[in-house]
Amino acid sequence: MEEASKVSRYLYTLIVLFLIWLALTASLDPQELTFGFILSAIVAAITYPIFTTRGLANLHPKRIAYAIVYVPYFLWAMIMANLDVAYRVLHPKRPIRPGIVHCKTVLKTNPGKLALANSITLTPGTITLDVDCDNYFIHWIWVPDEALTEKEEEHVKAASEKITAPFEKFLKVIFE
Amino acid sequence: MLKRALAIISLLIIGYWLAQGLAGVPFGQDKMLVGQYYLNHVREQTGAVNAVTAVVVNYRGFDTLGEVTVLFIASTGVGALLWRKKRERTAKTEGSVVLKTGAELLFPFIVLFGAYIFIHGHLTPGGGFPGGATIATAFLLLYMAFVGYEIPHRAFEKVEGVAGMGYVLVGLIGLAIGGYFLFDWIWLTWKWGAENIGRLFSAGFIPVIYTLIGIKVGTELSGIIDNMLKEEVGE
Repeated sequence: MEEASKVSRYLYTLIVLFLIWLALTASLDPQELTFGFILSAIVAAITYPIFTTRGLANLHPKRIAYAIVYVPYFLWAMIMANLDVAYRVLHPKRPIRPGIVHCKTVLKTNPGKLALANSITLTPGTITLDVDCDNYFIHWIWVPDEALTEKEEEHVKAASEKITAPFEKFLKVIFE
Repeated sequence: MLKRALAIISLLIIGYWLAQGLAGVPFGQDKMLVGQYYLNHVREQTGAVNAVTAVVVNYRGFDTLGEVTVLFIASTGVGALLWRKKRERTAKTEGSVVLKTGAELLFPFIVLFGAYIFIHGHLTPGGGFPGGATIATAFLLLYMAFVGYEIPHRAFEKVEGVAGMGYVLVGLIGLAIGGYFLFDWIWLTWKWGAENIGRLFSAGFIPVIYTLIGIKVGTELSGIIDNMLKEEVGE
């Protein structure tokens, strides 16, 4: 992934920080706006080299649209996940079949991998243990029958389909 | 066993003693002598809405200057105690991609939030010390996530010194204009911002001083972290 130009990266950091400032102050007082802009410009000048590698390309309308759609999609998955775990806790037989599974991802960029790892941790009884290149090692509360196979390839395929694929269709557009 | 029992007994005695002493102080009753004066006059005398920062920076400005000095001495002391010619970071375990990317993405937000805290010292709870500590946290995060990360030392030391001198300079200008050290010239002489108390550009020199303190504390604590995380290496 080649880096965007310095100007583009700086402007992207500035825009994001200024939006955060607006959310923090929650006021449109011109004094706050002026000072927030100055402060964002200074902080962006210090921090842009480590904040972003792609700069303004992150603000592509298609990416923003997918990111907005991803929020309710993800929240729904999270609610269902918590209900599922509550069911397992309250069930008299406590139906758990824990195990660590191996998934592969198609995401290439680091922010994409971070978003995927966090999405996995916050949803259906799965927790990301480690990420190594495109390999994800995930602890699952109920490993389904399809993933209980001796063959590595089938195992990875079944686990990835269940865990990473649902998020990847969104994250791929947002972060790739 | 005997040692522990004796310690518990003496602690109980001290606790009972303190409780007896505090029993004479009524809770929830108005006992303010000086406090009432501060609350009644803080707006016209300092222009600040946050009475705590007005007391800390204006009425009792010397204490704050002393605190800044204490912090500076702490930082210098750590530097002197751990001084060696050749010191490097010797951390071995690289963080995972999740930790590293998370630290990278959070860093600007933490720095901005620290700046938000110290710039709004006269309006909201907080001020220079919490804001500076927040900024130092951002650098601590980078130190924890990256094996080889180091703060830019030269720039940090200069900024720290300039910020500390700026604080004293603001006080000295007050001495020249108003006749005593840390006299709030921006508010009392210029009346700058008098028509918009409660908005950002008000409260005399409190935001100016808190900006300087925030920068100073932020760079100073980062320096302490840096000193403590490095280890001596052979030539």
